Amino acid sequence: MLDLFFQQLINGLSLGALYALIAVGYTVVYGIVQLINFAHGEIFMVGAFGAFATWMLLGQPTDWGVSASLLILLPLMLLGGIVVSVTVALLTERFAYRPLRNAPRLAPLITAIGVSVFLQEFVRLFYGRIPGFPDAKSAIPFPSVAGISGEIVRIGSVTIQMPALFTIVALAISTLFLWFFVNRSKTGRAMVATSQDPDTARLMGINVDKVIVAAFAVGAGLAAIAGVAHGLNYGNIDFRMGFLAGLKAFTAAVLGGIGNINGAVVGGLVLGVVEAMATTFIPGQFGSSAWKDVWAFALLILVLVFRPQGLLGAKVVDRA
Amino acid sequence: MRVIISDETKVRFRYPARAVGIVGAVLMIVSIFLPWSYGSGALDDVGFYGAPSPLQFAFVVLPVLILLLLAIPLVGKQRLGQWAKTVAWNTSAKTASLATLATVLIGLAAIAIELKGLVNIDVGGFTALVGALLAAVATPFLPDSPEPTLARVKSPTWLQILGIVLMMAGVLFAAAFALNQTDAGAFLTFVAFLVGVVLVLRQLGVMAWIGIAGANNNRVLVLAAFATAFAFPFTQNGSDANMSIASQVLIFAAAALGLNIVVGLVGLLDLGYIAFLGAGAFTAAILSESAFSTLDFHPPFIVVVLISGTVASLLGLLIGAPTLRVSGDYLAIVTLAFGEIFRITMNNLDGNDGPNLTNGSNGIPGIPDLEFLGFNFGDAHVIFGVDIGRFANYYWLMLLVIALIIVVFMNLNYSRIGRGWVAIREDELAAEAMGVNTFALKLLAFAGGAFLAGVAGAVKAHHDVSVTPDQYVFLESAFLLAAVVLGGMGTVVGVLIGATILKLLPEKLRFFSDYRLLLFGLLMVVMMQFRPEGIVADERRQMEFHDEDEELAEEIEEELISHHAHLNPERRGFDL
Repeated sequence: MLDLFFQQLINGLSLGALYALIAVGYTVVYGIVQLINFAHGEIFMVGAFGAFATWMLLGQPTDWGVSASLLILLPLMLLGGIVVSVTVALLTERFAYRPLRNAPRLAPLITAIGVSVFLQEFVRLFYGRIPGFPDAKSAIPFPSVAGISGEIVRIGSVTIQMPALFTIVALAISTLFLWFFVNRSKTGRAMVATSQDPDTARLMGINVDKVIVAAFAVGAGLAAIAGVAHGLNYGNIDFRMGFLAGLKAFTAAVLGGIGNINGAVVGGLVLGVVEAMATTFIPGQFGSSAWKDVWAFALLILVLVFRPQGLLGAKVVDRA
Repeated sequence: MRVIISDETKVRFRYPARAVGIVGAVLMIVSIFLPWSYGSGALDDVGFYGAPSPLQFAFVVLPVLILLLLAIPLVGKQRLGQWAKTVAWNTSAKTASLATLATVLIGLAAIAIELKGLVNIDVGGFTALVGALLAAVATPFLPDSPEPTLARVKSPTWLQILGIVLMMAGVLFAAAFALNQTDAGAFLTFVAFLVGVVLVLRQLGVMAWIGIAGANNNRVLVLAAFATAFAFPFTQNGSDANMSIASQVLIFAAAALGLNIVVGLVGLLDLGYIAFLGAGAFTAAILSESAFSTLDFHPPFIVVVLISGTVASLLGLLIGAPTLRVSGDYLAIVTLAFGEIFRITMNNLDGNDGPNLTNGSNGIPGIPDLEFLGFNFGDAHVIFGVDIGRFANYYWLMLLVIALIIVVFMNLNYSRIGRGWVAIREDELAAEAMGVNTFALKLLAFAGGAFLAGVAGAVKAHHDVSVTPDQYVFLESAFLLAAVVLGGMGTVVGVLIGATILKLLPEKLRFFSDYRLLLFGLLMVVMMQFRPEGIVADERRQMEFHDEDEELAEEIEEELISHHAHLNPERRGFDL
């Protein structure tokens, strides 16, 4: 029983790490422009496809050794995914959201839904049109990276899949990087200032446009890492994968307190663990994995009722 | 894109421009007697000499309008008298010319695509193109006309009623004609023509005049609109294909109208609204006489409708009570999550992952047609010598439901509750400070909107014959929201138009179906940038979206003043 608990804890943490990586993007953008970037799930999806494209451009290497894969292939795929994600995110910011900065808040939210549908369809229809690329209308098998894919680590009776470990490590490194970025870099501090009070920040000489761009870029970069992690964990990528992942990540962001970066990380991990535990420890038919999404969303609703500011708390924004 | 031509140039070239424009219009009129295409496969056969197709007969309306608009002013200002200022002759001719050019281009493109190649365009097509180009190039050189004053012309009541009736007849004819175009090219060409006609009528001030006539004769307008909608099945001659589309449009529109209360009046963004429709549909399916229904309780339909609506509104309360206290953005996501919970739950209640209620992803098939006081909705019958099929029965039933929804909506809109809702939408804190019970009112809107969707869902279950969970995915919620946003939040007419466009176009443009969602996404983005208030703008909303635009604010204010001066002051709410 205890072994099962630790096994599910590890499974939950790796799932949660994936949510957390995406959730940071929601939280950073919301903290600064009070926009629920509904299309963020699609940025994550685009990142995974970008990484896949990088692998295609490298000549579809399948026989690289462990060190070559870990030191060259994986970083290049991550980089490719990040470049694609950040580019797409900045394009949507520039052409879809920026013109609506002072519009009533319904307008950007509806735009975000439109962007989300558009990106999904764009990938579905046009990814396969790139010469040599597989058709994206159904799931594409994600390349395996030697040293990660299929490898496992055993600690006692607990089995850890290497891709799961990769996700957790990626989250740890990203969180460290984020901490330095937010607390030590000029842009990061400008981001904090803008989220606290955009008008005063502007008066202090902060270029708010630049800060917003930076927020979108940081979120998109982490989402791309999550995209690669998703591909490695599940073995395939799909143009639809951003919807549910995005929704879960948003739940995680709210859980931790939207606008709070640490909260997003904690919220993601908690959500992942809750999901994993629910499928194991809820007795009877309702404990089957078919219900795990229901439990995750039920958690979201419960949090909003009893602690709308989230676990770690955030300023409750009311721009009425 | 606006090409600026200086006033001087316009004055200098006004006579040649008029002459060239008239030549263009005449050329286009002549062109309908010439064949437009070699071969008969495009635009429903436009390949004859001297025998225009119905489409060409419709098309000729625009060139004739241009001809009249350009030629009549030639008789001189004196003889025209007050009409010289009542009609915006030049500006309307300009609009009509551009609309005609667009229609011709779409028509020729359809010929070229459907018959594979530009060579298939015959002499008539080229004549029309040259004519349209001449008119479109020449008319911008005419001096601008002052704003038309047609709307301010005092007219007797009988004339106003006649205007309303004529407009409704036109709408009926256009709808029937458009739906009967089975060919996508012909359909698109006709739609372009219709849009052109509407734009020209607006430019002429006819729309404003009809608007005032409608406001003065509210009952006549409403009755005429319903009579028109009621008469529609008689134009279809028993064709099930079109009636099926029409009844689907009405079900969709009913749900969109329900959502319109929640989003348009109260400003609560609900992204899981389809779940309420689904709740109604599943309730009705489970209580129906279907062999696959899982409950042994089959009350008559009237009871089923009430139960469906109640179940949906209970779900609305269940989801609304905890979440309506949080701010708007959260609500959007929570409702979205709720929509997913609903779909997954319906999928899981299959006897394997949970108790068997819905047969899981197979859903409940074989739902029998409605029985109502001994009248079976599945039976076809003949009324006034016209075949009326199964879908026409459902169409009329949905028409009734929509009438009910509209009456509720309009009455609420002008009531204490409705004003409370609008106050919440505009500024919730201020509304609360003024003593509006915001929580109760929001909950009422949520539950009420859910009830309407539940009722529509109950009819949908019988109409579609089967109910499955995958009919109620998030995309359907997005479509409903798009119908409200596209048409115009908070307006009835707008939402009806939006629902029609979103349901009808995909049915008629099947060759396009792969790109449907891509365009849908793009449309949402573009719409929010350039016309966030929708096709039919609610005046207050328009102000909200353009609050920096002083000119527009003054324009709307003026319009409101002149508009309300025409209304009888004792008119309060809405009655039927």
